[in-house]
Amino acid sequence: MSLDTPNEKPASKARAARKAPAAKAAGTPPAQQPAALKLFTDTLLQVLAGNLNARVPRELVGAGGDEMALLLNQVLDNLSASEHRKQVAAQEIDQALDALINLVREGDLSQWNTTTEDPQLGPLLEGFGKVIETLRTFVREINEAALRLSSSANQVLAASTQHETSSTEQAAAIHETTATMEELKHASAQIAENAGSVARVAEETLGAARAGRGAIGEFIQAMQQIRSDGVAVADSIAKLSKRVERIGTVVEVIDEIADRSDLLALNAALEGSRAGEAGKGFSIVAAEMRRLAENVLDSTKEIKNLITEIREATAAAAGAAEASKSATESGEKLGAVAAQAVEGILAGVQETSDAARVINLATQQQRTATEQVVASMAEIEDVTRQTTQASKQATGAAAELTQLAARLAELIKRFKAD
Amino acid sequence: MAPDRAVAAQARPEQEFFCFRVGDLRLGVPSENVLEVFRAGLLTPLPRTPSFIMGVTGHRGEVLPVVDLLRFLSKGEARIGPRTRLFVGITGSIVAGVVADTVLGLRRIPVADILPPPLGGDAAAEHLLGVVPGASPQDSINLLNFSKLLQTARQRAVAR
Repeated sequence: MSLDTPNEKPASKARAARKAPAAKAAGTPPAQQPAALKLFTDTLLQVLAGNLNARVPRELVGAGGDEMALLLNQVLDNLSASEHRKQVAAQEIDQALDALINLVREGDLSQWNTTTEDPQLGPLLEGFGKVIETLRTFVREINEAALRLSSSANQVLAASTQHETSSTEQAAAIHETTATMEELKHASAQIAENAGSVARVAEETLGAARAGRGAIGEFIQAMQQIRSDGVAVADSIAKLSKRVERIGTVVEVIDEIADRSDLLALNAALEGSRAGEAGKGFSIVAAEMRRLAENVLDSTKEIKNLITEIREATAAAAGAAEASKSATESGEKLGAVAAQAVEGILAGVQETSDAARVINLATQQQRTATEQVVASMAEIEDVTRQTTQASKQATGAAAELTQLAARLAELIKRFKAD
Repeated sequence: MAPDRAVAAQARPEQEFFCFRVGDLRLGVPSENVLEVFRAGLLTPLPRTPSFIMGVTGHRGEVLPVVDLLRFLSKGEARIGPRTRLFVGITGSIVAGVVADTVLGLRRIPVADILPPPLGGDAAAEHLLGVVPGASPQDSINLLNFSKLLQTARQRAVAR
């Protein structure tokens, strides 16, 4: 409006110029109007036409109308000043409105710096400025908060995603663990079974080893018996040997006697022979005696042979008894060693049996514990599944939150604070 | 005594022999030539005597020369053992101990059973009276002419 005003001025002047003759023709009788009045009229017409700068030229008016012209000019000055003020105010209001429209349309809070000299408009614009300043501060803070929110939401999303992943992994791990525990349960059952059979075998071995110990004890006793018997046999053999030697001496004596008898009988026979017919019977008796002596000698020879045989046999028997003695001694030693070995076996088997029993018990306990662990694992798996679900939901929510934060940031970006 | 023996001999003429074994020889000596039998005791060898004189031994206070018939008859060599016998042989004034491994005993042998010694035999044959055959050649007994044998031995021993 204000821009249009200068352009319209010529038109308005022209119109006023064209009107002026009409008004002159209709309003005032041209003949009575002095020249001074005409000046006033023209000036007023000009002012009405819009030219507020028009003034009554006082030099032309003359003395009579000078005061009038001065007053009129003063009025016109006042009018012009007020008009001018009005125009400026309107212009400033327009500017303010433009700025507001721009603010609303563009969200640009940074462009607001409208000022005025108008004392009436001043407070209003100042109030606007304050409000906009407050808005600016808000927008700035909101923007900052949105940025922070966005990054936090991103972090939350990342954390939630990670949590979801790890929760899934945890679930898998727990599943594996459960499977392993299941295997462990089977394995421990197997172990318990094996330990049971080991204990059973150890028990059998224990029985066998005890029997072996008894047998070895009997064996050692028998060996001792054999040794004492052997000693008795050796004693008997020694006695027999002595007796046989004695018999040998006696037989020697008998032999000697028989030999002498033989000689005596021979000489007697010779004597008888020398006695002729008278000694014949004597000779026969002597010959008979000699035969007897020879028989005795034969017998003693036989006895001597027998004694020799007996001597050899007893020597062999004594050797055999000695060998038997040493054999039984080594047998006893071996028996003792075997007994010791069996004692060791017994102790070892006892330990094995105890250990197997302990293993059996322990594996049974382990089995129970494993079952409990499996049950706990199932519970944990349930919880983990729920956790996974919850973390999925949390991830979704976080994603949504991120989107919202982004959107908020975007929205807030529309408002330019700086 | 002699007439009695003669009568007996006439009824069935027999002769009693002291039979013994030395080495492989089975010999017989007429029993009248044998005084006694005893065990061979300690022999003392005599120097400068024939080899068939084994030495001397003491018997009943007398010293007897001991003759080894095996050496005398060249049939080997006698050995003295614990059972070896010595018999005291006598003929005339000659008394000697003779080594015998075993005394078989006194045997009465019918004269008809005595065979003459084999002709053309060795040097031993000259001292034989005859041979009494046994069941086997080993059982046959050579009967010695002991008087002649002892005299020959005496002569040989003195001759040296």
